[in-house]
Amino acid sequence: MIYLDNAATTRPDADSVRAAMRYLEEDFFNPSALYKESFSVHKRMEEARRQLLSHIADPAKFELVFTSCGSEADNQALFSAARRGNFVTTEGEHAAIFSSARELGKRGVEVRFAALNKDGTVNEADLLSKVDEKTSLVSVIHVGNETGAVNDIEGLAAKVKKINPRTLFHSDGVQAFGKIAYRMSAVDLYSVSAHKIGGVRGVGGLIRNKSKTLYPYIYGGGQENGLRSGTENTFAIMQFAAAAEKKFASLAADHARIASYNQMFRKGLDGELFCILSPLRASPYILSVSARGLRGEVLQHMIDDAGVLVGTGSACSARNRFSRVILAAGTDEKTADGVLRISFSAATTEEECVSAIGIINRCARELYERTR
Amino acid sequence: MQEKVIIVRYCEIHLKGKNRGYFEQVFMNNLEKALAGIRHEIRRPSGRYIVENFDAERTEEIVEKLGKVFGTHTLSVGTKVAADIEAIFAEILRIAPSSGTFKVETNRADKHFPLNSVELNAEIGGRLLEKNPELKVDVRAPACVLHIDIRENGTAFVFRDVIKGAGGMPVGTAGKGMLLLSGGIDSPVAGYMIAKRGMRLECVHFHSYPYTNMQAREKVEDLARILAEYTGGLTLHVVSVTHIQEEIHKKCPEEMMVTLLRRFMMRIAERLSLQTGAQCIVTGESLGQVASQTIEGMTSSGDVVKTMPILRPLVGFDKTEIIAKAREIGTYETSVLPYEDCCTVFLPKHPLIKPKLDKVAAAERALDVDGLVEEAFAGLETLTF
Repeated sequence: MIYLDNAATTRPDADSVRAAMRYLEEDFFNPSALYKESFSVHKRMEEARRQLLSHIADPAKFELVFTSCGSEADNQALFSAARRGNFVTTEGEHAAIFSSARELGKRGVEVRFAALNKDGTVNEADLLSKVDEKTSLVSVIHVGNETGAVNDIEGLAAKVKKINPRTLFHSDGVQAFGKIAYRMSAVDLYSVSAHKIGGVRGVGGLIRNKSKTLYPYIYGGGQENGLRSGTENTFAIMQFAAAAEKKFASLAADHARIASYNQMFRKGLDGELFCILSPLRASPYILSVSARGLRGEVLQHMIDDAGVLVGTGSACSARNRFSRVILAAGTDEKTADGVLRISFSAATTEEECVSAIGIINRCARELYERTR
Repeated sequence: MQEKVIIVRYCEIHLKGKNRGYFEQVFMNNLEKALAGIRHEIRRPSGRYIVENFDAERTEEIVEKLGKVFGTHTLSVGTKVAADIEAIFAEILRIAPSSGTFKVETNRADKHFPLNSVELNAEIGGRLLEKNPELKVDVRAPACVLHIDIRENGTAFVFRDVIKGAGGMPVGTAGKGMLLLSGGIDSPVAGYMIAKRGMRLECVHFHSYPYTNMQAREKVEDLARILAEYTGGLTLHVVSVTHIQEEIHKKCPEEMMVTLLRRFMMRIAERLSLQTGAQCIVTGESLGQVASQTIEGMTSSGDVVKTMPILRPLVGFDKTEIIAKAREIGTYETSVLPYEDCCTVFLPKHPLIKPKLDKVAAAERALDVDGLVEEAFAGLETLTF
C-alpha cells in the first residue's frame, strides 16, 4: 500500500507514540491535580507547549492554547474575534472556517468573502478592498488544503493592519505547520494540528498574540488559563511535541526532497490525461491534478484497488459533487470533476512515488478506455 | 397483583376460514421473532394475542416492534388486575382523563362475573362521574374509551389507548418475491407494500463499483435493515453490473443504456428467483416516473422474464404519495442520502422513452448476454439481515 493522502492525515510517528505511551500508562495523572505526580506531568506538558510554540513564534509575545483539533482552533479564533462588525475571509478556506463563517452570518455578523486568483491564492486587492473600519477579523488560510496554494499571510496581515489597526488577523496553518518555513509576527492567531505532521488525532492548537484578547470557546474547569477548559490530553500533547520536534529538525531537507517528488509527478503523470491544478509555487506537500473528463472518485476507487491511496476533489454524490475551492479558483466543472489530490509526508519515499505514478497513469488510461 | 400486558389484535386473518389456524401460527411466529432477545411470553386466547411477563421499562420498545409486524391491526398497553370491581375501578381511576367525554366498554369473556357488560359499564361509569364531576359520558363519540376486558381466569385487563399497527397479512403467508432494491425512495416502499400482503422477500441490489462507492452500498444495506424489521429478516444479494454497463456503453446506442441495463437486471433477478425459490419479481416502478418506467419501458424489461410475474405495487402511485409512505415506514431519510447508485457516468443525456422491442433486441445482439449474466453471477454476494 502506498499512502499519498497525507493532507487528510499522516501515519503517526511510531517513535513518538512509543515515547508518549507513558502518559497513558504510568504517568496518566490529570495535570491539573495538586499532588506532585500530577505536577510533574504538568511541568512536562508546559515544556512541550513552549517547545512547540518556539518552532514558529516568540514565546515572549505569543502563547499556545491546546485544543482538540485544528477545526476547534479555527472555530475559537472566529467566534472569539469576529463578534461584531464584519468578518473578511476568502473563497479558499477549509470548511472549518467556511462553515463557521456561514454560522457567523446567521448570528448577525456580516461576512465578506474575497475572491481567489487562478493559482488558488487570495486576490490581495479584493481582500484589502473588503477591509474597513468595522472589520473585526480577517482570516486567510496559510496553505490551501486542496491545491497547496500558499498565501503570504504576514504581508497580508501587515497591509490589513495599515487599513485598520484594530482588526485581528487569523490564519489556518494546519497544512503549513511543520512543512513550510514560517515565523509569526503580524499575524495574531494561528491554528495548527498534530495529525498532519506525524502526530495523533485529538490535539491541535491555537497560537495567539498575548496582547490581543481571546475568549474561550469551551467553558468549564478553567484549564489552559481559562481559554480552553477540559482535561488536557497529555498523551496526544506529548506525542505532538515529539513528532513536531522531529519534523522541524528536518523541515528544510524534507521540503527539498518532497519538492523533488512533486516535480516527478508533475513530469511523470500522463499529460494526455492529466492537467496540474496546483501552482508551481504551492506547498510541495500537496499536488492537485485533474483527469479531465474522468470522474475523480471513480479513478480514486481504481487506484485504491491497485494499492495507492490518494484524495479526491469530487464525489459520486449529488451534494458536494465539486470542490467549492477548486471552482472558486476559476476551474470549469469538467476539470473540477476529475480532481485527485496527491499529498506527501516526510515518510514518503522516491520508490513509492515512482510506482504510484505508474499505477495512477495506468488506472486513468484504463478508465479512459473503459468509458470512452 | 398489577402487571403490564400488551394486547395485540390482528387484521384479516379471521377472513381466512379453514386456513385460519395456519395464518395464526405464522403470525405468532413472526411476533416471537420480532421480540427475539427480549424477555416476554405470548399467549393466544380467542381472537387476540396477549404479551405478558416483560420488563415494564421496555414496554415502549416492545410496542414499537410489535406494531411493525404485518398482521397487527391494533395494540393496547393495559394493566392486568384481579377481576373484582374495586380493583378494576382503582385502575380505571388511574388512567381516566381529568376532563372531557368518555365511555366505558366492557368485554366479558368470563360469564360468571357478577355483572354483565352493560351493568359493569354503568357501575364503573357512575363511580367515575361521582369522583370527577368534570367528566361527561358520551356513548356515541367519546373523546376517550376506557376498556375493561374480563378474562376467564379471574383476571381483567384495563386499558385506554388503541395504537394502530402496521396492518396487512403475516409475512410468510403469501409466498416469496425477489425485490429489486436500488437505494432510491421507491423500491423500499414497494418491498414494504408487498411484504404487507404477506409475501416473504429476498432483495437484489445492483452496483457499479468503481463508478459507485462503498457509501452507496452501505446505504442499501441500511435500507435492507429497516425493511427487515417489518419482514422478520431479509436476504440481500449484491451483484455488480459494472462490466455490463461498460459493454452496453461500448457496443450499443447511447440512448439505450437504461433500457438494456434494466433487461439485464430482470434476467439476473429471474435467475436468482429460480435459485432461491422466489415466485415473482417485485420492483418500485411507477408509471411514467422516469424514462425507463413508461409502459414501453416496462414491456421491454418485462419481455426477458419468462417464468414468473413482475409485481409493481407502486405503479399507480404519485411520487408524493410514495414519499409520504417512505417517511411513514422510516426509509426516507436513508433513501435521500446523496450517493449515486447506477452511476451517472453512463447515463445518457436523452434516454429512450418509448423503446421498440425489435430495436432493443437488435441492439442487444451486439452483446454476449449469457456470458455477461454468468459473469455477474460469479461475483454475487449474499448478506442476511
